[in-house]
Parts: sequence; C-alpha cells; structure tokens
Amino acid sequence: MRNTARRTRLAALAAATGIVVLAGCSSSDSSDKAAAPSCSPAKGKVTLQYWNTVPGMDKVVDLWNKRNPGIQVETKNISNDQYGILGNALKAGKAPDLAQVGYDELPNLRTQSAFVDASACSAAGAAKSKFVPWTWSQTSFDGTGVFALPQDTGPMALFVRSDIFKKYGIAVPKTWDEYAAAAQKLHKANSKLTITFFDPNNAEWFNGLLWQNSAKMYGYSGDKWQVTVQSAQSKQVADYWQKLIAGKLVRTDLANGSTQMYAAYQKDQIASYVGAAWGYSMFRDNLPKQSGKWSIVPMPTWGANGSSGDWGGSTVAFMKGSKHLYESVKFNTWLNTDPEALAMENKLGGLYPAANAGLQLPALSKGVPYYNNEKIFDVFAESSKKIDTSFAWGPTQKTVNLALQDAMAKAAAGDGTLDDALAKAQAAALKSMKDQAIPAAEGK
Amino acid sequence: MTDIATRITSTARAVEPPKGRRRLTGGGPRAGTVLAFVTPFFLPFVLFYLVPVGYALWQSFRVVRRSGGQYGTSYTTFGGFEQYVQVFQNTEFWSSIGRIGLFGIVQVPVMLFVALVMALLLDTPLLRLKAFFRITAFMPYAVPGVIAAIMWSYLYSPQLSPVVDLLDGIGLKPDFLGPGAVLWSAANVSTWLWTGYNMLIMYSALQSIPQELYEAARIDGASNWTIAWRIKVPIIAPSIVLTTVFSIIGTLQLYAEPAVLRQISSNISSTFTPNMLAYAVASGNNYQQAAAISVVIAVITFVLSFGFMRLTAKRAGL
Repeated sequence: MRNTARRTRLAALAAATGIVVLAGCSSSDSSDKAAAPSCSPAKGKVTLQYWNTVPGMDKVVDLWNKRNPGIQVETKNISNDQYGILGNALKAGKAPDLAQVGYDELPNLRTQSAFVDASACSAAGAAKSKFVPWTWSQTSFDGTGVFALPQDTGPMALFVRSDIFKKYGIAVPKTWDEYAAAAQKLHKANSKLTITFFDPNNAEWFNGLLWQNSAKMYGYSGDKWQVTVQSAQSKQVADYWQKLIAGKLVRTDLANGSTQMYAAYQKDQIASYVGAAWGYSMFRDNLPKQSGKWSIVPMPTWGANGSSGDWGGSTVAFMKGSKHLYESVKFNTWLNTDPEALAMENKLGGLYPAANAGLQLPALSKGVPYYNNEKIFDVFAESSKKIDTSFAWGPTQKTVNLALQDAMAKAAAGDGTLDDALAKAQAAALKSMKDQAIPAAEGK
Repeated sequence: MTDIATRITSTARAVEPPKGRRRLTGGGPRAGTVLAFVTPFFLPFVLFYLVPVGYALWQSFRVVRRSGGQYGTSYTTFGGFEQYVQVFQNTEFWSSIGRIGLFGIVQVPVMLFVALVMALLLDTPLLRLKAFFRITAFMPYAVPGVIAAIMWSYLYSPQLSPVVDLLDGIGLKPDFLGPGAVLWSAANVSTWLWTGYNMLIMYSALQSIPQELYEAARIDGASNWTIAWRIKVPIIAPSIVLTTVFSIIGTLQLYAEPAVLRQISSNISSTFTPNMLAYAVASGNNYQQAAAISVVIAVITFVLSFGFMRLTAKRAGL
C-alpha cells in the first residue's frame, strides 16, 4: 500500500507539473537591431518560404514555380494554429519570408517586430493603386510603409430569404431602422421566426458592424495609443442590437457556421443573414435545397451614413528576417494582383480578392445559379468601395475580442448589456496594452 | 470488522521488501545497468517536465517592457512578483477557480459513488455476464475526451438533439446549454467519461481481497450488504483515495469538455476554467502572465491533492 501512495504522489506531481508545461512557450528579447532593409536581387536561384492558411494555395504556387525557375516558393499550411505557429517561429528567429496575416492581427504582430518594411522596393509601393483603398491603408499602416500586401477581403452585405419576406409582405430593408421594423413584423407574424441571429461569440462579426458605423476604436497621438472602443458610434450599434435581443427579435443561441445554425436556416426559422463575401458559398454548399430562395442585397445602412463594413480577409505579410525582399515583393505582387492567380485563389480557396483587378474576374462577373442567377458579386464589389478607410485595429485585438465576446455572451443571457460589453472591451484593451508595455490612454 | 481490514493491511506491510537497500552507485558494471534502465525515463522527464516547468517558473517572474514609438520593440526583464500579484487580483481567475470548485464538489463524489457501487455490483457473485458489464462500463474511457464532448454536444443541442426533441414533446423545455446548466452538462460528460475508469481501479482492488475473508464473515453471520460496506469498502479505501486524488487533479485541469461545448454555447466564456483562462491569456501574447497562472494552478492542485491524501491517510491505511 505504501507503494501505491508513493506512486500516487508521483503521479500527482507529474500531473500537476503537466499544466505548467502548457505555458512553456514564451518570449524573450525580440530586439529590432536589423539594418534598414535593402532591395537588391539575389545572384543565384532563390527559395522563398510562404506560410498560409488558404486551401489550394499550393496549386497557385506551383503555377508560379513553373514560370519562375529562379524564384522558387515553398508553401506550408498553418491553418490549425496560424498565430501560435507564427509567434513561435518569430521567437525562434525562423519566420518565413511571407506569411498569411489577418488585417486585425497586423498591429499585434507589428508590436512583436514581426515585419520588414518592403517600401525599399519601389515595386511594393507602386502596388498601392492596385488594391481596394481600405486594404492598403491597413497594410501600409496609414501610408507609413509597406508591411504586407492585401490578399482577400470580406465586404459585408445582407443575405435575404426573399421567399420569406415575400410571404409576409415585407419589403427588404434598406436601413437598420427598417431592418428592426421588419424584425418585429416577422416575429409577430410567426413566433418561431426571427430576422437573424446574434452570435455573441463572434467579435470579428460585431467589429464589422462597428466599422460600418465609422466607430473608430484606436488612434495614436501624443505618443500614446488612444483607445475609443467605447464611443458614440459603437454605442449606437450596441444599443440597436441590445434592443433586438431584449425583444427576442433575434436569436442568440447559434454560432456562426455551426451545424446548429444551418439546421435553424434549414427549418425556415431565420429570414436573413448579415454576412461577408466569402459567405456566399456557405449557404450554397450547406443548404442546397434552398437554391433560388436567397438573394444578396446591400447591408442596411445607418441613415445618412452609407458606409459598409468588412468582416475578415487577410494579407500576405513581409516577415522580418527574410533575406530576399526583392524576390518576396515580386512573388507577393504576382500572387495578389495577377488575374490568373486571383482566379485560382477564388476558385480553390474561395477568396474574395482585395485587388481591383480581382473584382472583375470572369467568375465574379457572372450570375450565380444558387442566388437566382443574380450578379451577387456586384453587390460585394459595391460594398467593398464603401468601406471606411480610416478604421484601424488595436495592437492587442485578440484579447479585446475575447473580452468583448465574454461580455456579449453575458448580455445575450440577460446579464448586463452590449453597452457594458463595450466598456469591458475598452478596459481589456487598456489593460492588455499595459501588460505589453504599449503606451495607451483612454481616448475621447 | 475493521479489525479484519487492519489485519489485511498489516499483512500487506509485512510482505514489503526490507527497507535497507544496497548502494546502487559506484558498483562497477551494476552502475551501467542502472543507468541503462533509468535513462529512458529520466531523459524525457528532464526534457519534457523539468525543463518546461523551470522555464515557466522563470517566465512567471518576467515582465514585458518596450522601447520607442507606437509599436516599439519589446524585451522582457525581471519583474519580481508582479505577475503573481496580477493573478491574485484577477477576478476572472478566482471565479474560474470557484466554478471548478463547485464542479468538483458535486461531480467528484457523484462519479466516485457511482463507480464504487458499480464495482461492488461487479464483485458480487450474483451478477451474470460480468465481463460484458465490465467492458461496457469501461468503454467510454476509450473515447477521447474531445470526441466525447462533441458527441454530447449533439445530444445537448436544441437544433439537433433527439433527446431535447423528446423532452420538448412531453412539455419539459430543457436548456442544457443555458447559463445555469452548462456547467453541469460539462460535468455530465466528465462523469460519463471517467466513471468506468474509476470503477475499474476499485474493481481490481476488490479482486485482490482473499476469499477466506468473506467465508469468515459469513460464518460470523454477515450479509452480502454488510460484507460490501463493512469489509470491502474499508479494504479498498486506498483505491478510493487514489481515484479521488486523480479526480481532483482532473477537475483542476478541466479543459477539453468546456472548450468543445463552447463551440455551441456562448455561456461558456473564454475564462470558464483556470486552464482555459491560461490559454486565453497566452493567445494574447501575455506568456508571462499565463506562466504565473499555470504555476498558481499547479500549486493549488498540489495543495489540494496532498491535503486530501494527508487528511485521509490514517483512515485509508496509507
């Protein structure tokens, strides 16, 4: 019996220490002592590393490799833990030349000194005119350099079950006020029906809504980040959805993209979806029987403010430590502006291009059978042009998103309001920036 | 009856090998043999336990500092107990501890009681098809925790679950994923997963009890009931303590079940359990804080498991 006890103790010790192992990875100095990057072509053959999260990207790269024997690109799919892998590689000094980074993670990675400014290569700066304006203002950090090239975007729009709206004689809403009125009418007509769902665990989506209302969450002045997650604009959005939630006019029990969500749409319990360009295939592929019942119209607007929002999308960033900036710029530009490459990425990876040239792809100019042969991509292209270019993400966006989600979930369960959630997110932004020693203050 | 139990344990002690051992080191060829046997354990132990633990400890005493500008360049420096002070001031941390405390106080006794009853039932001569029941009860343990949680999440989900449909049909409107219920839905998954495992540990302890004891008890006029509660349970007390300690540790490390249920229920926050909190903090690049949280969880686990063993050492005959 003594043996058992001793073994138990060992096991207890081992198990207890096991938890600590989880926290094993960590940062040490990430000093930025590299000299200013230069942009001279290499003498011989060059091999670039490009880590990404896009299905089928290897096929696009194969095409490049066939045509450019002097600049070979190797890909690695890091979609299972994108930022974990990148963060660790950076700390180990083994980052790739190019990596997939979401727009909202750009400032965070820059605080980790992850990027190299490619503006030493004139080709990089010249690419500016090739992209949808807001994407360039984010990848260039408001024109202060070229740290990444935009790859894809998620301009938002309203997905509508036109048959349900027709059945209840309700016009498709053009403003958020009309949308709220329609929500009421639909729910009154059929208590099992709600106009849409509010996913409390989806800060990225909610950020898109805030963006649409020109809510400026971060600025920089007086040597400090100015945090304005809580502002009149964001409060307006929060109060709007709070009202819908409180009136039980939107469901809060569904997670975006979950089997449960599709089941609810399948059962005709939800009449619309506030989504992004990349979402068009979600309904087509998961609800084939509803073909012909859906249409896509512009996102409802906030009165006179005709702006649209963006949800998701990503960039291909120039990573620190790359020895082949010239070649990286060359490949990156081709990857994200060449019509042939864009067409493949759209077809294989479902990417909605950030390049202007991409918006005119043949595949994006045709009617889509699932949506009654409507030219749905015209709606997204139009949305794309109306996205506020002055919106900026924070340097600790992920932590802020988590705090926002946790508090939005509480609000959805009747504990607090969405306005409280903004306050929590604001506090989390300030606290997390302080933890990372990033100078920050409550903005006005 | 406790006399018998005491006698058994003292017999067990009597057959233990003598304490004084020959010195193992410095004995020529023997040292090499020992090394050959110990290295395969020791090397990974150092590499994958001691080194990471040491690293986490070291990290937990560091803080991030930054030089220059809007983005700046970060470096870490010694920060004393700053990270620990933050852990102790973190209300999310303490509510996650409180949450799993509640979870443990309810789930562990329920699970172990069910496991004990099942083990005792398996051990009675009255039960037929023993092998079948033993395997069936143990089977959930063979299902990985994440898979089990996914499976249960389908049963809990109002959109998809036949169980929910059925209960709805008879007028009950269960909300397994609601703010109050979701903790117990997670507890149910853990119970389903681990009861069979704990049962097996107790059952194997029961198997080692010599049959003569039961004969003696019967001659003394003990019923099956009395034999179970007055002889079997006291004798296997060490196994019950062992399973309790495992369960305490498991509870403090709770991660997979709530993390999976989080996919379908927004009522599980990113800081629902201490481990989830540590993960969330680490994913926000605050590795130093995550390390401090992990160290505190480890210390709490340590104190609780040893505390419990201490508390029960006498009674369990350990």
